[in-house]
Amino acid sequence: MAVDPREVPTPASVSDESPAGLKGFFAGARSIATGLGITGRIAFGKPITIRYPTERSVLSPRWRGALRLRGVLGKDEVKLVRTVAPEYNRALQELYEADRLPPCVGNCPANVDARGQNYLIADDRVAEAYELVRDRNILPGVLGRICHHPCETACRRNFYDEALAIRPLHRFASEEYRKVRAERVSPLPRTQNKSVAIVGAGPSGLAAAYDLLKYGYRVVMYEGEDKPGGALYKGIPTYRLPRDVLEEEVGDIIGLGLQLHTGQHVGRDVELSALISENDAVLLSVGLQESRFVPVPGVDAEGVVGALEFLRAVNFTGEGGVEGKRVLVIGGGNVAVDVARSALRVGASSVALACLESDQEMPCHPWEIAEAVDEGVVPMCSLGPEEVLVEDGHVVGMRMRSCLSVFDENGRFAPKYGDETTDLPVDVIVFAVGQGSKVTDLVSGTEVALSERGQLVVDRTTFTTSVEGVFACGEVVTGPGSAIGAIATGHEAATSIHRYLQGASLTEDRAARPAPAYPNYPPVDLEGIESNRLRAVIEMVSPDERVKDFRPIEAGLTRDGAMDEAMRCLRCQSEVCVGCTFCARTCPDYAIQVERVDEPGARCVTRYDLDLSKCCFCGLCAEQCPTNALMHTGQYEMSFFERDLTHFDKGEMLRSADGTRATGRDGIAPPACPSATRREEP
Amino acid sequence: MTLLLGMGWGALGVLVIAVGAIFGVWWERKVSARIQMRLGPQQIGPAGSLQMIADVPKLLFREDIIPARADRTLFKLAPLIVFAPIAIAMVVIPFTSGWAPMDMSVGVLFFLAVPSIESIALLISAWASHNTLSTLGGLRGAAQLISYEVPRSLSVLPLVLLAGSLRPLDIAQRWEWWWFPLTLVAFVVFFIASLAEMNRGPFDMPEDESELVAGYFADYSGMRWAIFMMAEYGAMIVASLFAATTFLGGGWPLSGAAGTVLMVVKAVALVTVIMWVKWTLPRVRPDQLMSFCWKILTPLALIQLVVVGVVLIWL
Repeated sequence: MAVDPREVPTPASVSDESPAGLKGFFAGARSIATGLGITGRIAFGKPITIRYPTERSVLSPRWRGALRLRGVLGKDEVKLVRTVAPEYNRALQELYEADRLPPCVGNCPANVDARGQNYLIADDRVAEAYELVRDRNILPGVLGRICHHPCETACRRNFYDEALAIRPLHRFASEEYRKVRAERVSPLPRTQNKSVAIVGAGPSGLAAAYDLLKYGYRVVMYEGEDKPGGALYKGIPTYRLPRDVLEEEVGDIIGLGLQLHTGQHVGRDVELSALISENDAVLLSVGLQESRFVPVPGVDAEGVVGALEFLRAVNFTGEGGVEGKRVLVIGGGNVAVDVARSALRVGASSVALACLESDQEMPCHPWEIAEAVDEGVVPMCSLGPEEVLVEDGHVVGMRMRSCLSVFDENGRFAPKYGDETTDLPVDVIVFAVGQGSKVTDLVSGTEVALSERGQLVVDRTTFTTSVEGVFACGEVVTGPGSAIGAIATGHEAATSIHRYLQGASLTEDRAARPAPAYPNYPPVDLEGIESNRLRAVIEMVSPDERVKDFRPIEAGLTRDGAMDEAMRCLRCQSEVCVGCTFCARTCPDYAIQVERVDEPGARCVTRYDLDLSKCCFCGLCAEQCPTNALMHTGQYEMSFFERDLTHFDKGEMLRSADGTRATGRDGIAPPACPSATRREEP
Repeated sequence: MTLLLGMGWGALGVLVIAVGAIFGVWWERKVSARIQMRLGPQQIGPAGSLQMIADVPKLLFREDIIPARADRTLFKLAPLIVFAPIAIAMVVIPFTSGWAPMDMSVGVLFFLAVPSIESIALLISAWASHNTLSTLGGLRGAAQLISYEVPRSLSVLPLVLLAGSLRPLDIAQRWEWWWFPLTLVAFVVFFIASLAEMNRGPFDMPEDESELVAGYFADYSGMRWAIFMMAEYGAMIVASLFAATTFLGGGWPLSGAAGTVLMVVKAVALVTVIMWVKWTLPRVRPDQLMSFCWKILTPLALIQLVVVGVVLIWL
């Protein structure tokens, strides 16, 4: 097809002939002057090219050079994330900026060094692993049973196969620690002439106490109940958390020097104002004391209870007054699931769990509701409470209204209800729709300010209240959350108290905890994956057996199982190659060969070969390397190489970035290959 | 004796042009780089100034290729003929007040006439290469050079009228500052015509990389090619020096050695402008080139000549 020349677009300045005559002459002259002006201006501007080679360091980090291993397991140590608490955030920040923060540590609210734990357990240094974890997560054995493990959610193994069992490893370490506890726990020296009073022996208060004891302060703790633990003691059902574990670990903190006064209710038995005057600082970590109810008609009838009261009764007396009765739990969170499962265990004839959210939106963890359903709890989603049906002051049923949507388009809580109602015949209704704080009694007689809704006024970053020297942490500050989240606030509050007692500014030069975002990995097809890549199977009691009583439902890891599981850890971002072989699996040219020894306590990489004559420098291996041990050096100009120099082995790849054999920078004599040091079984 | 002296000056001229070309190539690479937002040479020597010193041995060791069907004698002769007139033309330039390498009563005429021999050199090289593209480039070059001789010569005449002499020394000595505004049009015409004379962009159709590869010297390599390039830079330098001494008043307002330095600075500025123009404007078409020469430049030069002639009566 012929092209009409009129349709061919040409730049105006080229195609437009100047008009004839003098006008055209001046138009042309002006156009030339404009052009000269543009180039003249550009010539005096800043060049956009780089000043090679002095500006070489600003090259994109994605350039591809000869490959190098920064370190290998068996020769190089994996660095532990371990610093004193006031410097911990800064250390994390530095790791994060250097791209050396492992995802499990970054995603944990308290930034427990799970990678270090796995490294030490695989190295058969279990007690050290326990103490490393305890530095941040002060109750490893407790959290090893009940934590919602954000570390495992972020675990990079999710990308390859299955997440590492970090939480069961906490539990394994705590069980091993029992053997050495007596010799390893001793009172910490008191180096500071100041004392801190802590109100409430929950996880956040204990975390703050642990940090403050480490700084050398005298720490006095007041607990209203007769045993420490706070919500862990009162709320968590014993099938999830045997109380001896809690007692043991709180006992460790007492063993470090904590002065604990149980049964001393501050505000009733002891006055807060007295604590403020007697101590240099006071920390309020009283948690949430009060169950919330939905204000529907009939909510004050007999047979309606709050979740906290119910759990407390079940935990303390072993019975909830629901034997043979039909129980309805209102709420879809983890507490609601705990209530429902406890109700089954204390003899309820049937337990239903009704929540506003659809089954996809339920706020509880999916594994929790799955276990509850296995045990016989009937979930009823998308139902909102309408009215408690009462006869003679007793509950006989609950009228529920269908719920169309819970959140508005901005993600705010704004339920929309439908017209449909259902009447459920029940005998007991437990509201598990959240908890509130109850601090009016506590602060009476002091100047600690409360908001209009009766909540403590607390700065969320420094954890200070309106009174100087009085701090607050835990769920009383953050609202309902996780135990590990409460522990994290305890560490922050302890840092604030330490700064306050040292006369330093609370905010100045204080690093914020880095908040990295990690991807949600889609489930991996596990078909055909080698068995040693799969997550350890945690034994659970069968549902029929476990509903009968409050015995723990989950088994721990065996010693061999724990070792194998800890060895699965990829040691992300450690810059030490663990021989995970994912680079070799990724390589499109089959240029990489990795061999490792998988012995417990002596895992090491024995061979790492890269065939440069096959390598196409695509960089996929280094791109996916979970440890960042594999990197591209600056020698990307493979301008000359000899045939015998086209093969890197482990020793060659471990050389410094300044010169590798292939680029001939430092001669061609092959260096002596450093042999991996093997750790012998103790 | 005169012959020996002439040869001596010729050798000196060659040296000046060779050094000038080395400097010129570096300067052109820098100027073009900055116009294109680059840094240009920067590795060898301060700001890459020794880059050309490194390039010369490279050119020297290039293979000297002579096409099989070329006229070998003419092929070897052409680079010399293209270079010689440029070097010779330099002898009439008054480097300082009252002194030029060769004081000639018809210096201006000499300066205009001798470089014209270059058109013959172009034709020789084009013919000797026995190559269609080279021939086309040579013919274009000859036509262009001969055409632009006319406005170029006419543009110098106003100065000759004002000075009353064809001797460049006289022009430089009698130069007054008001000559510049009076002969501004002539200066512009001289500048543009000189661009065409030395085959610089936007009038570089004889070379025309995109169509004719390199035109009349497409088949040359190594040092022979370098001589063509040197001739181009030599022509730039000689034309700029001549313009600086005549149109821009040489060392004015300074005198003596400072004046000579200022004169060289003016010449370097003109060289820079030549490069600026080359790296800004696209190449014109041959028909545009010719119509521009005959319909615009020549009439302008004539008008300027008339204006100066009229003004001269009142002086």
